[in-house]
Amino acid sequence: MSATTITYATLSEVMIYQVARTIKDGELVFHGYGSPVPTLAMLLAKRTHAPRMIHVEGATYGINPEPPFLPPTSNDWVLERGRVMSLGISDLFDIAARGDMGRMFLSGVQIDRYGNLNVTAIGSPDNPGVKLPGSGGGCNLSADVQHITIWTAGHRAQKTKAGKRSFRFVEHIDFVSSIGQRTRDGIPRVALGLRGGGPEWVVTELGVFDFDPVMHILRLRGLYPDTTVQDVLDNTEFEPVIAPNVGVVPLPGPEHVEIIRRFDPLGTHLHEFKPMELSRRFQL
Amino acid sequence: MPIYPSENKRMSLAEAASLVQDGMTLAIGGGLSWREPMAFLREIIRQGRRDLRVIGTAHGIDVDLLCGAGAISVVEESYVGFEHDFGMAPNFRRVCENGQVQVHDTCCHTILQQLRAAEFGIPFLPVRSVQGTDFLKLHPEYKTMTCPVTGLPLVLVPALSPDVAIVHAHYGDAQGNLKILPPLVADLFFIRASKHVIATVEKLLPIDELREMEPNVPYFWVESVVEIPYGAHPTSCYPFYAYDREHLAEYHQAAQKGPEVFADQYLTQYVFEPVSHEEYLARIGGMAKRRMLESWKDGDDSWRKLFTAPEGAIA
Repeated sequence: MSATTITYATLSEVMIYQVARTIKDGELVFHGYGSPVPTLAMLLAKRTHAPRMIHVEGATYGINPEPPFLPPTSNDWVLERGRVMSLGISDLFDIAARGDMGRMFLSGVQIDRYGNLNVTAIGSPDNPGVKLPGSGGGCNLSADVQHITIWTAGHRAQKTKAGKRSFRFVEHIDFVSSIGQRTRDGIPRVALGLRGGGPEWVVTELGVFDFDPVMHILRLRGLYPDTTVQDVLDNTEFEPVIAPNVGVVPLPGPEHVEIIRRFDPLGTHLHEFKPMELSRRFQL
Repeated sequence: MPIYPSENKRMSLAEAASLVQDGMTLAIGGGLSWREPMAFLREIIRQGRRDLRVIGTAHGIDVDLLCGAGAISVVEESYVGFEHDFGMAPNFRRVCENGQVQVHDTCCHTILQQLRAAEFGIPFLPVRSVQGTDFLKLHPEYKTMTCPVTGLPLVLVPALSPDVAIVHAHYGDAQGNLKILPPLVADLFFIRASKHVIATVEKLLPIDELREMEPNVPYFWVESVVEIPYGAHPTSCYPFYAYDREHLAEYHQAAQKGPEVFADQYLTQYVFEPVSHEEYLARIGGMAKRRMLESWKDGDDSWRKLFTAPEGAIA
């Protein structure tokens, strides 16, 4: 596939590009397992604006791999291809604990205004309505890593069987698996003596957000060509801050889309998206 | 942690599995869909073990299978699921939601610090993280203190010494030396922290041959060695075989249909009925299946095909 024949980007590709844009050159960057959108964002960033980025792979801990394709499981030798070497599990978490990991990517089934994330249980963990798979290294890394980029393709509130709306961006979070800008009681994370700066960017299928620097509340910064401020307000249970002059986010160029499609011929990242989001396409 | 000086650690699968007793804390090696000691876990299910507590980092079918067989009462892993391939772990979800299993979720660095405290022979290690999260409520054994050096708050996590570590290694010898190829996941931490270490190995080699490979686990930490080719199936054990996505799909579909269907369609067929490991290998598809799982070596196209859904197999 040549970049010259690429005429459109899908919403998923545009989101991958937004996540990639949060990566700075020279950062040591790690993605968790089961995270194809950030994985592709890292592969893209290193091949475009962040060539000195250090890529640490999500479960193998391989450094700077060149995988021939993304498999649907993370602890696979496919993802070891071309790596310099692999770190051990304690090497990886020690790098983060001493404050040397530049960026990591986290997601949540519930996300509150401060960027606290729940991937542990809906309801009480003693008697969970839904037991979620768990946070992996997310609890520790949310405290230790310099910057967190949160991503989700599930911002749009869903109708439950009972006809109620089920929000991902919630007023009250059932379980805090990883720490945001403040605790759920509103204590700023700096009071806890944590090394990392916490969530910096939030990329969803409705827009791109950061956090208000004073109140530490989710703040809308950019929309897609087909989303509006009202879409964001309608699909967020709490009231986010709206930055002045919210515009449309930059779209990827054909050269970016070509890299994403080259690394993901199996469409592994599409599992993260609902069919209605996958039909969204943008002319380049 | 004890020292096992014996020169001959070879055991049958049944003998090795009998070291696991009801109520023990088990550290299962490997991670996600890589190098899980599946043949061993099927044997402890056949032996009827109950009330096990499993500890570790990111896991999948290993813990889910034990949950589906009713062998576990406490799960203290950082993740149990099938990633973006099949999603949530159905048996794990069910037993957590119906109260059969206590949810003691942990986090990767937290549990590593606990294992390292055991390895170092000290009562706890501190972390800065975990503060501000609900893991503190889930684990009353974690303590908080003000650091006497910096004046900042810390969380102290106690040493954790599992009763049994069970790992699936690529190579081993009769004495118990092991060579495990990366990703090593948390295996070496489990081995150094646990009271009993059991290894199943793809290939048992003469001691001289293993020594040339530079083993990464010395024999005196290992109590028992069992040779079981394809012992990690249906998870992967490269360079020998990739994971069996077709089998995982069958597993996941049966598990989603509830405990009775899972027992009838999966446990009976693949755990209880096969009288030997050879019979298990025949049931999963025999030589044809094994050739397919080894075809990743034939090039990227063959490798890619192993991750493409077989017609109608994946929901």
